[in-house]
Amino acid sequence: MDVPPLLEVADLRLTYRTSRGPVRAVDGVGFDLRRGEAMVVLGESGCGKSSLAKALLRLLPRNAEGLGGQVRLAGEDVLALPEERFRAEVRWTRIALVMQAAMSALNPVVRVGEQVAEPLRVHRGWSRVQAMEQAARTFALVGVASDFLQRYPFELSGGMRQRVVLAMALVTEPEVVILDEPTSALDVLTQAGIMNVLKRIKAELGTSFILITHDVATSSELADRVALMYAGQFVEVADAADFFAHPAHPYARLLMASVPRLHQAERPVHIPGQPPSLLAPPAGCRFAARCPQRFARCDQDPEVFASGARHRVRCWLHADTVGCGEERTASRTLRPGGEGR
Amino acid sequence: MSGSKADLTAGRRWPLRDLQRLALFMTRRVVALFFTVLVGVYLTIFFANMGGRVDELRLVQIRSTVAEQVRADSAFRDLASDERNALIEQRVGLEVERLRLDEPFIWRSLDYLNQAMRLDLGRAEQMHSDQGAREVYRIIAERLPATLLLFGTANLLVFFSSVWIALVLSRHYGSLWDRVVIALAPTSAAPGWYYGIFLILIFAFLIPILPAGGMVRVPPPEGTWAYAASLLRHMVLPVAAMFISSIFMAIYSWRTFFLIHSSEDYVEMARAKGLPPRLIERRYILRPTLSPIVTSFALMLIGLWGGAIILEKVFNWPGLGTLLFQAIGYRDTPVIIGSVVIFAYLLALTVLLLDILYAVLDPRVRLDKGGR
Repeated sequence: MDVPPLLEVADLRLTYRTSRGPVRAVDGVGFDLRRGEAMVVLGESGCGKSSLAKALLRLLPRNAEGLGGQVRLAGEDVLALPEERFRAEVRWTRIALVMQAAMSALNPVVRVGEQVAEPLRVHRGWSRVQAMEQAARTFALVGVASDFLQRYPFELSGGMRQRVVLAMALVTEPEVVILDEPTSALDVLTQAGIMNVLKRIKAELGTSFILITHDVATSSELADRVALMYAGQFVEVADAADFFAHPAHPYARLLMASVPRLHQAERPVHIPGQPPSLLAPPAGCRFAARCPQRFARCDQDPEVFASGARHRVRCWLHADTVGCGEERTASRTLRPGGEGR
Repeated sequence: MSGSKADLTAGRRWPLRDLQRLALFMTRRVVALFFTVLVGVYLTIFFANMGGRVDELRLVQIRSTVAEQVRADSAFRDLASDERNALIEQRVGLEVERLRLDEPFIWRSLDYLNQAMRLDLGRAEQMHSDQGAREVYRIIAERLPATLLLFGTANLLVFFSSVWIALVLSRHYGSLWDRVVIALAPTSAAPGWYYGIFLILIFAFLIPILPAGGMVRVPPPEGTWAYAASLLRHMVLPVAAMFISSIFMAIYSWRTFFLIHSSEDYVEMARAKGLPPRLIERRYILRPTLSPIVTSFALMLIGLWGGAIILEKVFNWPGLGTLLFQAIGYRDTPVIIGSVVIFAYLLALTVLLLDILYAVLDPRVRLDKGGR
């Protein structure tokens, strides 16, 4: 490991208190992210993706309890920092967030320029003029004309608002930007526009991204790394090329088989069943109930196994793979159609 | 980036655009409000006169008054009864002509409307001010300060303390104090006078440290300071009664209001941005919700106009509530109409003021309704 990772997350846990018992939305997630890398977190709705984003920024709702684990940012465990220091030193200056509800993420009664410039004025004590100039530069970067600085959020279209929110996340030049479903509320053309902006920014600024999405096709354009989340856990973390070509976890294979492609002879498959409730996740492997390849050992909770360099899989099928699991995984490649029924 | 400087200054043109829209928007509102007041006042005139039925009562009253006068006058004692009756009829006819009771009510009502809209409130029929004036304007003006002082003090206290406490509680959702306030909210089901009775019982009779009622000591103390001190002592119990009866509900509803608005996405975004909590509270919670806060403040202020009939009675406070109660009892239509007309104008003025404030506070109102 010659490049030290920028962000190292180990055993991250976040539990919500509900009337029906604790919900373990993030349950022992671990990964690392290098400088300039873009990691895509894929997963179904309700698998804990957004909770992961909140946990990383320590933005906890009132019913949250038990945020645990380690989040090391450039070697420093920021999860252990006192709240006030975390607010002043980490939020937005080092980790920024583009929220899922970007449409309503802007204060309706403050001009968008002010809102974008605000972190600079608060965290760096910049003057208004200086901060507004930087905001204008960031606007140009995301493709918004700088006379929009004087507008109010309701005067902007959805796509423009999304760009403004993106500009807000980039204005302090943070090391990590977390994007929580940044394009899910937008039409396809606007989505493509935003994704292009992200690609350009990644190339120009070298910012690290964590892109949370359920959209396999769009995310593949940006991803260097892919993390697949299922029922509060990462079931597979791999390089993007590796993941898309040779998914290792049965869920990953089924997921890839379910993505429609151009010039494809077979029909895309669907994954039968429902993800388990996070209220009382089943013992053993959480995907076992839907897995076509389950066997006796799946009753026990699988460990995380290495299936190659920087390739981790939480599945008993890979228990004996050491180092290069290339041939083994290839030999087990699932036929689309899934005989698991 | 040479163009960015010029673009930044472009913002200076915008206030002009805003002002134009604001002017147009206000003109429309003034016209609309004028008609609202017109309709409101006319309805009051119509109903206070019972659609003209009060005229019949008035006619009977005039007849008996005139008859009484004629009979009591020694100059007419020698007249024959039919001559006397003719005289009475003649005098009644004069009075009817003076009050134009022979015309249809509908025409006169329009005339009343015209006078009322020009704030020509006329003279009371039965009532008079403490100094003996019959002008409705004088009667109302005499009572107004007492009401404004008492209810203004109480309501301002309730408003500002409830908003402030609510903001603190919304930050400590689910804390002990939060739960205590929620538990106490139903105390507001009882009106102020109810608590007033107990307060009088305790602090004026069991532990006689405060006066039981009235506005100042009788006779009024000499000197401004002594007068003010006496006034203050008399205000303590009624203000306390009103405060107790409304504070917990007010805190509870503001707290809920702030809780709802502090879970807006942009508030969460502000937290993610690492803004200090005070700034979030000011710019992301209070600033966007200022319109409803100001609205409830303004409506509270004009609500003072009515006073409160029972509370004023319990504390023997010479305010507008008592006045209106008496006016209704006497069927003194000019006083009733006068006080409603002033209320209508105050309400319209407040609504207009609120409209302007909304436009100033909220760009969505300012830029949307100005016309496109």
